[in-house]
Amino acid sequence: MEQLFILTLDASNFILAIILVAMGLVIIFGLMNVINMAHGELFLLGAYTVVMVERLGGSYWLGLVLAPLAVGLVGLIVEELVVRHVYHRFLDTILATWGLSIAIKQAVVVAFGPASHTVSSPIAASIEIFGAPYPAYRLFIMAVALLVIAVTFWLFFRTAFGLAARGVIANRDMAACLGINTRRLDRATFAYGAALAGLAGAVMAPIMSVDPQMGLGFLIPAFLSILVGGAGHLAGPLLGAAAIGGTDTLAANLWSPVVAQIVVFTMAIVVIRLFPRGLAGRWFGG
Amino acid sequence: MLSVAGLEAGYRGSRVLNGLDLEVAEGTVAALLGRNGMGKTTLMRALMGLVTVSAGRIVFRGRDTAGLRPYTIAKLGIAYVPQGREIFADFTVEENLRLGLVGRPGGARRVPAAAYRHFPVLAERRGQRAGTLSGGEQQQLAIARALVGQPRLLLLDEPSEGIQPSIVLQIAASLKQIAAEEGLTVLLVEQNVEMVLSLAADCAFIENGRVAARHAAAELRGDAAILHRYLAV
Repeated sequence: MEQLFILTLDASNFILAIILVAMGLVIIFGLMNVINMAHGELFLLGAYTVVMVERLGGSYWLGLVLAPLAVGLVGLIVEELVVRHVYHRFLDTILATWGLSIAIKQAVVVAFGPASHTVSSPIAASIEIFGAPYPAYRLFIMAVALLVIAVTFWLFFRTAFGLAARGVIANRDMAACLGINTRRLDRATFAYGAALAGLAGAVMAPIMSVDPQMGLGFLIPAFLSILVGGAGHLAGPLLGAAAIGGTDTLAANLWSPVVAQIVVFTMAIVVIRLFPRGLAGRWFGG
Repeated sequence: MLSVAGLEAGYRGSRVLNGLDLEVAEGTVAALLGRNGMGKTTLMRALMGLVTVSAGRIVFRGRDTAGLRPYTIAKLGIAYVPQGREIFADFTVEENLRLGLVGRPGGARRVPAAAYRHFPVLAERRGQRAGTLSGGEQQQLAIARALVGQPRLLLLDEPSEGIQPSIVLQIAASLKQIAAEEGLTVLLVEQNVEMVLSLAADCAFIENGRVAARHAAAELRGDAAILHRYLAV
């Protein structure tokens, strides 16, 4: 019983962490049809913002607040300088953002060196769950992810901004003909997606090794969860992450992490084969 | 109010409009007729900024709008009901109408009751997904969505397409009433001659990307030969 509970907690933790990364990715992809290969590097910048703030004597919490703001600003600049010029050229968006990801990664190496940094956990306490200690910081990560999900859904389904953004996703030309400033929406959405990546990086920094390669580890499951869940609906990455994260944790626990990888990729292939528009495409028709 | 001079526009590799001139006076309903492929829809899309204008001028209320982005043109007071309606099928009727408002200054959240006045069927179906409406209802929604932003000029592209004749007449009657009440200027592209004659005061015939002739609607009622010359296949 306890073991099952801890396993569920571990799975939820991984699922929510993937969602944190995948959310920004799916917003940018859904609204602008841009596959942002630099998303992992925006995640990286979020983590390094924390490293930088701590180096300057600030607290972890200050870094956590500044990371989404700083990375959101980077997103704004990147959209204006690079991404804006390759809309409507789907393949070029992949190349351009891939180039960008290399540039950001190298800039980080130049500024901070190739070695890894550690960010110590700001909440060191453990909470006893069924007699087993569980790090309280992991529960904090889950709370942040749930908050991000709630805020994002509120933003997209309850506000005028969200209505306009969904209108642009559904029919960009018609939305523009109704007076919706598509340029401003593109800018705001890209910055929001980037800020989410930055926040994710800052939140995950204390439980990871902060190095220039750290973005990749989460980018792959995030992309997979979008493919499995479907990119046409905001619920897509939620379902996808649940499927990917749940399978991964379960298989890793039953067998080994290597087997888990095989199981996850096999499942992804099967799901994509059966539901080409993803699980959300099947259930929500969007 | 709208003055188009020497307009050239088209798509990659093929120019559709070849020096088109057109004047639409404030508060009038003008119709644009012509066979398929003559450039009617391209003109509408060029007026809305959806097609790149390569030469010529479009002056709307004293301002040259050629080269502006669609949302800027919409904000100046031009609303567009495209061919095929292009309603947001997965959104509710009310959300469709709200989308007609969010781009407006102030960006009102609530759809004013007046938006439903001419189209009571939309009020009944406000919570329903727009994709489940009938063709005629979708057309009314597209028109209501365009009007809710209180435009000065309404561009209507083939509003009768794919709709039962009885509904077409009903929509025409509503439009006529709205135009008269609000002093709205309308540019109508339409194949349905009956609808055109019931709504428009002035008709322009488009041929090979330019206006070939203009006639008052009253003239056309008495002279079928003109219609035959420009519309018969």
